[in-house]
Amino acid sequence: MSLETHDSEQEHIASAISDEVVIELNKVNKWYGEFHVLKDIDLTVYKGERIVICGPSGSGKSTLIRCINRLEEHQQGDILVNGVTMDTNLKNIDAIRRDVGMVFQSFNLFPHLTVLENCTLAPIWVKNTPKAEAEQVAMQLLERVKIPEQASKYPGQLSGGQQQRVAIARSLAMNPTIMLFDEPTSALDPEMISEVLDVMVGLAESGMTMLVVTHEMGFAKRVADRVIFMDQGEIVEQNTPDEFFTNPKSDRTKLFLSQILAH
Amino acid sequence: MADTTQEDAVFRPKPSLPPPPNTVGVIGWLRKNLFGGPFDTILTLLGGALIAYVAYSLYEYAIANAVWEADTYRGCLDHVLPNGEKVGHEGACWAGVATWFDSYIYGRYPDTERWRVNLGAIVLAVWLAPFWFPKVKAKILVGMSAVLTFPFLAAHLFLGGEPGLFLQAMVAIALTAFATVWLNVLASYMGYQSLRVALLRLSGFENKGDHLHKYVLLAACAVGFVIAFIYQSTWTLESVPTLNWGGLFLTLVISGIGISSALPSGIILALGRRSKMPVIRVFCTAFIELFRSVPLITILFMAVTMMPLFLPEAINPDKLVLVIVAVCIFAAAYMAEIVRGGLQAINKGQYEAAQAMGLSYWKMMTLIIMPQALKLMIPNIVGSFIGLLKDTTLVSIIGLYDILLMAKASGQDSKWLGMHTEPFLFTAAMFFVICFCMSKYSQHLERTIGGGYGRR
Repeated sequence: MSLETHDSEQEHIASAISDEVVIELNKVNKWYGEFHVLKDIDLTVYKGERIVICGPSGSGKSTLIRCINRLEEHQQGDILVNGVTMDTNLKNIDAIRRDVGMVFQSFNLFPHLTVLENCTLAPIWVKNTPKAEAEQVAMQLLERVKIPEQASKYPGQLSGGQQQRVAIARSLAMNPTIMLFDEPTSALDPEMISEVLDVMVGLAESGMTMLVVTHEMGFAKRVADRVIFMDQGEIVEQNTPDEFFTNPKSDRTKLFLSQILAH
Repeated sequence: MADTTQEDAVFRPKPSLPPPPNTVGVIGWLRKNLFGGPFDTILTLLGGALIAYVAYSLYEYAIANAVWEADTYRGCLDHVLPNGEKVGHEGACWAGVATWFDSYIYGRYPDTERWRVNLGAIVLAVWLAPFWFPKVKAKILVGMSAVLTFPFLAAHLFLGGEPGLFLQAMVAIALTAFATVWLNVLASYMGYQSLRVALLRLSGFENKGDHLHKYVLLAACAVGFVIAFIYQSTWTLESVPTLNWGGLFLTLVISGIGISSALPSGIILALGRRSKMPVIRVFCTAFIELFRSVPLITILFMAVTMMPLFLPEAINPDKLVLVIVAVCIFAAAYMAEIVRGGLQAINKGQYEAAQAMGLSYWKMMTLIIMPQALKLMIPNIVGSFIGLLKDTTLVSIIGLYDILLMAKASGQDSKWLGMHTEPFLFTAAMFFVICFCMSKYSQHLERTIGGGYGRR
């Protein structure tokens, strides 16, 4: 479905990659107990790059991006974010988390706070921004995701697409340099997927470094600078979208593409 | 499905209609629910007869044959109606309850000093009243100031005698806090946003820079403290040892302190039990499991008989203090498990979203997790409080004259020997009223701030 709804006629958006390395993963290995979930992952992400990670379920793609902001701990290897090493030092982890925003599949908005309070919470309590300034920034972001009129409503009163857009605004409120998306549209019904994808395309066009785990191949074709295919904890193939979709090198990738592009 | 032409291609949904009206009101309800068929009708009649019989017996006992004025229990039993009927035996002796009423409420607190108990209750009620005033901001501070400082004020007020310097200072702080709360209310309703704003504006310091503000506020606090200290040192209150405290007053003191300390300590214990740090986790788990597995009565006995053996000679705590500590520990262990249940009910995604934003552990707990967890657990928390209130009657077994022991004692007094039922009925009614009010308040809380399906 994804290929037809977002016209392939749309141009791939302009690239904004710089030379600066923002994320570096060196020989990262992770185990859940005995289960080896990430195997020797090597990945370098440059500033302004937009990466789409795809693969079958259980391939470790969510685990990979969750390791980047320490929602999961890796047992072996190095992870560097904006030059800061990821280890058990809490100060490093906090510094990294302030620079990295994350959008979840199940939105994870705070139900006891209004939309505006959701967006101002982190700036006020982590960065000590004065309340008025935080609210101003939050309203600007809500306008950017096109739902400023919902500011005083509670998350339970919004539709799924609106909630996910609030989640994006909430992550942007901390002014991150990197945004991680963990299957942001997988829990939405088809009519709402495009409103969220439009926001993400707008974000990409503004030059944000993005790592997106998704099944939306149309989005990958339009936005991604690199598409990474993962299976069984390994990066099987990574390439530009053109090359990836037309000339997949590995058999596993060919099998995956044949399945996902079949509808 | 009719043939669609070009004009019909636009989708026009059918208009929404109201649901069909209910069938025939009260009579219909009665016919359906009470007199639906022959079996239902017989059940209704039998049930109605049973209710009528019980209600009439109660009426006869409690009202028709009841004796309202008598000097002794014998006088109650021998009471004779104007027409010569001897009904004392079949009626309630409310005269006894009326005579002993003050003792049920105050215990053996001296008659002339009972105004102090009343004053304490009134002060607490007035202190907490701003909760219901919409214009007052920072209601949490009202509650916290009351919970933290009122016990000292109450202790001095109820105990009397010669307070030490520490108690005097704490009483002064409590008086200052009380005055602050009400000056704040006054300021809010007089157009200033809060007392802080009022002070700054009136002293002319409002626009002189933020770093000067705190000096003004500190000065105001210091002045208030000094005035309060001088004021309380002029009080001379007759000493009333805790031995003489009793009745509903004692029950409310013990359970009041137990209730207000249970929630904070329960939260700390629950967080400790879920902690990743092994020493804290083991300690909290052991504490909770130990004090949950042992009956409250044994904890009370241990506290009263064994604690004095372990404490050094110099510290000779009052029996009431030991009892209150025991009740607080017991309540905290139960509350910890309730809070832990609430914490477990929170979606893992909430923790992750908070962590991904860079919130520290305590900020995450205070701002995100605890508000949701506690709101989910309101029925359990208030239920635990209600249970605690009733559990405090156990102190009667170690000789503290709470309302239950007073009720028993009134039936052993020489003039009222043998009067057992009426005091217990009165005590039961007293507990019912208090617990029912707490239950109603719980329902109110669930409706307004409840975290369950109401919000979703």
